[in-house]
Amino acid sequence: MRNNLIYVYCLSNCDPSIAQNIADEGLQCIVSGNFTIITKCVSDCEFSEENLKRNISDIQWLETHAREHIEIINRIMKRTTVIPFKFGTIFETEESLKKFIADYSQSLTENFEHIAGKEEWAVKMYCDRKKLSDQIDEYSEETASLEKQIMASSPGKAFLLKRKKTELIENEMDRLCKYFGQKYYDEFKKLSDSVSLNNLLPNKFTGKVETMILNAAFLVHKKNLSDFNKTVNQLSKENENSRFFIEATGPWPPFSFISIKEKQ
Amino acid sequence: MDHNVIDQSKDITILEVLDRVLNKGVILTGDIVISVADIDLIYLGVKLMLSSVETMEQLKAGNSGQEQRFKIAK
Repeated sequence: MRNNLIYVYCLSNCDPSIAQNIADEGLQCIVSGNFTIITKCVSDCEFSEENLKRNISDIQWLETHAREHIEIINRIMKRTTVIPFKFGTIFETEESLKKFIADYSQSLTENFEHIAGKEEWAVKMYCDRKKLSDQIDEYSEETASLEKQIMASSPGKAFLLKRKKTELIENEMDRLCKYFGQKYYDEFKKLSDSVSLNNLLPNKFTGKVETMILNAAFLVHKKNLSDFNKTVNQLSKENENSRFFIEATGPWPPFSFISIKEKQ
Repeated sequence: MDHNVIDQSKDITILEVLDRVLNKGVILTGDIVISVADIDLIYLGVKLMLSSVETMEQLKAGNSGQEQRFKIAK
């Protein structure tokens, strides 16, 4: 088995000797212009185009390697600013890798300027629609007033109004989810330099009974981190035992805030 | 810094990891890079792992919103 391919984890703009020091076992630092590329030599038995395609459909293999990808970048990130590469980016030769870096050096430099001194944090927000539905009258004037009408109506009319309320509850829950999602998003946005909104994931994927109502990544300047964390804690406390709750994870490598432009 | 509700590393789901390492970061091609079609295959794999049937389409639909995300950065 020959380790003849170059797997790229990330790019750093720090001194190569520092990068080498951090990178340590199994990793190689390749210097190209002002950048240090953190790489590993891998075998074509695993990472040739054909074998990589086969391997990524093996979920165990993928999980192991995807986690390793992010762990290595995390380790480097603790000491220096990094531009993370997508999982499975492979170069056949050092020359072609260096050519790639040279071709995009302008854009890479701009990205380093954009992310310097900042961290990526992920915030997800969920709603327990069952709980919210049970206590909807506390949140919604409309359903509360309809409930009063139901109480004051004859059984026949009450039956029809209850059907109307069932429909109204769904609409009101949608409105409340949007309202709280937006409200929390705005709070975090105030403390961030950039925001990346991600798709809401279905319950089957999150493994939760609650519905995801916000999925966002925030690029937070280090000077605002303490306030950002305080906001997370404060909003979590406000919502203890409630229908809405948030989950924050980070710092992530700035995957969501890298944008590479074609050279002119 | 107050970290008590912030989850540093435990319980990061594989989906969350994949969502970042496959969809984001420097995405221009190396000599070999996983193609978009392959990513669909990966989600198929995740789908099988989680025994979900209907979410595949939703995730695929979600992927089409990808371009916009990159534009937000700069």
